[in-house]
Amino acid sequence: MIEVRGLSKHYGATAAVDDITFDVRPGRVTGFLGPNGAGKSTTMRLIVGLDAASAGTATVNGRPYAEHRAPLREVGVLLDAKAVHTGRSATNHLRALAATHGIRRSRVDEVIALTGLETVASKRVGGFSLGMGQRLGIAAALLGDPATLILDEPVNGLDPEGVIWVRTLARHLAAEGRTVFLSSHLMSEMAQTADHIIVLGRGRVIADAPVGDILAMSTGTIVRVRTPDADRLAGLLAGPDVVVTRTDADRLDVTGRTAPQIGELAAGAAVVLHELTPASGSLEDAYLALTADEVQYHAGGTTGSPASPEGTPS
Amino acid sequence: MSTASTAIPARAASPGGSAVSFGGILRSEAIKLFSLRSTIWCLAIIFVVPIGLAFLLAGTVGDTVGIPQDAQQSIWVQSATLGIGFSQLVVAVLGVLVITGEYSTGMIRSTLVAVPRRIPALLAKALVIGAVTFLVALASILAAAFLPLGLLASSGVQPDLGDPAAWWAFLGGAGYLALLSTLALAIGTIVRNSAGGIAAVLGLLLVLPTVLQILVAITGAEWARNVGTFLPDSAGGRMFAYVTEAQAAPAGVLVLEPWQGLLVLSAWVTALLLLAALLLKRRDA
Repeated sequence: MIEVRGLSKHYGATAAVDDITFDVRPGRVTGFLGPNGAGKSTTMRLIVGLDAASAGTATVNGRPYAEHRAPLREVGVLLDAKAVHTGRSATNHLRALAATHGIRRSRVDEVIALTGLETVASKRVGGFSLGMGQRLGIAAALLGDPATLILDEPVNGLDPEGVIWVRTLARHLAAEGRTVFLSSHLMSEMAQTADHIIVLGRGRVIADAPVGDILAMSTGTIVRVRTPDADRLAGLLAGPDVVVTRTDADRLDVTGRTAPQIGELAAGAAVVLHELTPASGSLEDAYLALTADEVQYHAGGTTGSPASPEGTPS
Repeated sequence: MSTASTAIPARAASPGGSAVSFGGILRSEAIKLFSLRSTIWCLAIIFVVPIGLAFLLAGTVGDTVGIPQDAQQSIWVQSATLGIGFSQLVVAVLGVLVITGEYSTGMIRSTLVAVPRRIPALLAKALVIGAVTFLVALASILAAAFLPLGLLASSGVQPDLGDPAAWWAFLGGAGYLALLSTLALAIGTIVRNSAGGIAAVLGLLLVLPTVLQILVAITGAEWARNVGTFLPDSAGGRMFAYVTEAQAAPAGVLVLEPWQGLLVLSAWVTALLLLAALLLKRRDA
């Protein structure tokens, strides 16, 4: 359980994290989503006390991280795959961390096996690929068998197999009742891993809700319709809770009606349909919609939001 | 809001250990120190070079048959402690790297996540590097004192091996290097950068005394000479000087007793470590 209250971090005049409040609860995977530079890493560093907060508090299992008697047994942290001396072997790195808490040597071997590092464990970390570095970072996070895991961009640099491994591991750890808090700027990754999502944009929490709600927060469920008689169908569909967007001469995006409803309506009015596709708003869409105003540097004038109706709203 | 009902199941296998302990942190720092090749190389150089230099000096003493016992003692102690002037440079580099190596690689974040109170980690580093340097330096100095005895004897130097003043010098030499390693660690912690840290320590050891000497040579300023006496290398150098009661300081020049040299160097180390601890505690990592 992580509790963040009014947390802020200022660097001079700029606020990297600006008065954020949220809880990360046990037994589920909580995704921490936001564009690069949104303040995700800073927030995680504040939680484990690597950076001092300008204002507010962050507690883990009821206490500030530094006040725990056995911090590594409470919280496992992957902040940065490169938080390792490049001249040391993976085993010695983990042994050194384990020694601080009197964690037994066999646990070091366990986490090495768990993360699939056996063959490279005695090699110097300087020669590791990014993926192996990530695995070592995750091994270090698991060392104390902690009830809470904070993983910053754990799938960064991993191959597809590694990505699935992290996803499975995160779900498994949450299923064991642990608190799993992982950040990513990849929304698609979150859709498949997280139960709950906190979206951060420019240092502020802009959404804190279950994955399903975040998806629904996009433009709702869109149905793509292709018909040579687009004008007529648009007129038929018009209603107080329906939004029809004309995307092309023969294409309509409809929200507020399901595909069967549209199909039946079209059949009743003898409108020919060439296509009728329910397209669930992706998390990607939701994320872009949520952060559209929050991204600090826009890439040109593109708008990712499909929410602007130009058709015939009644 | 269903947190209360979400029980955390019993853990399958306890990883052992209950809490952060200072003993554990010491063990951790020892593992870190000995698991780097650079450390091993530095320690090997600190051990080997003084022995080599002692042999070199013993072999070039020349015929000294008939010189007073006092002078024989002095030659013996000097040959054993000659290498310290070189070892101090390696010790300085090692002491700085112990901490700046963590900053340059990012390891410091792992260290501070494991020991979030931070100060115990710095203290453990100081104790480990100090103790290891002391033991290696003492072994080296003793080897440098005793291995070339045969060579010295052939030049007519037959020292009194039980001379307490000699033994104090040997211990003092090892103690000087040990304190220097912690001084370098403190400066490395303050500077957080390998090149900068090494430059700062070597500046303090080599450049500053030279500047003061030039100042003394040009102006003859008494104060500059006396300031120089309190710099780490001069004060520390007194710790392994061969001092007998027969020797007396020239009038007007401040000369520290070995124990005073120890006090002065300890004050340097304490002050710099305090500053390092303060900064480590306050700065974002």
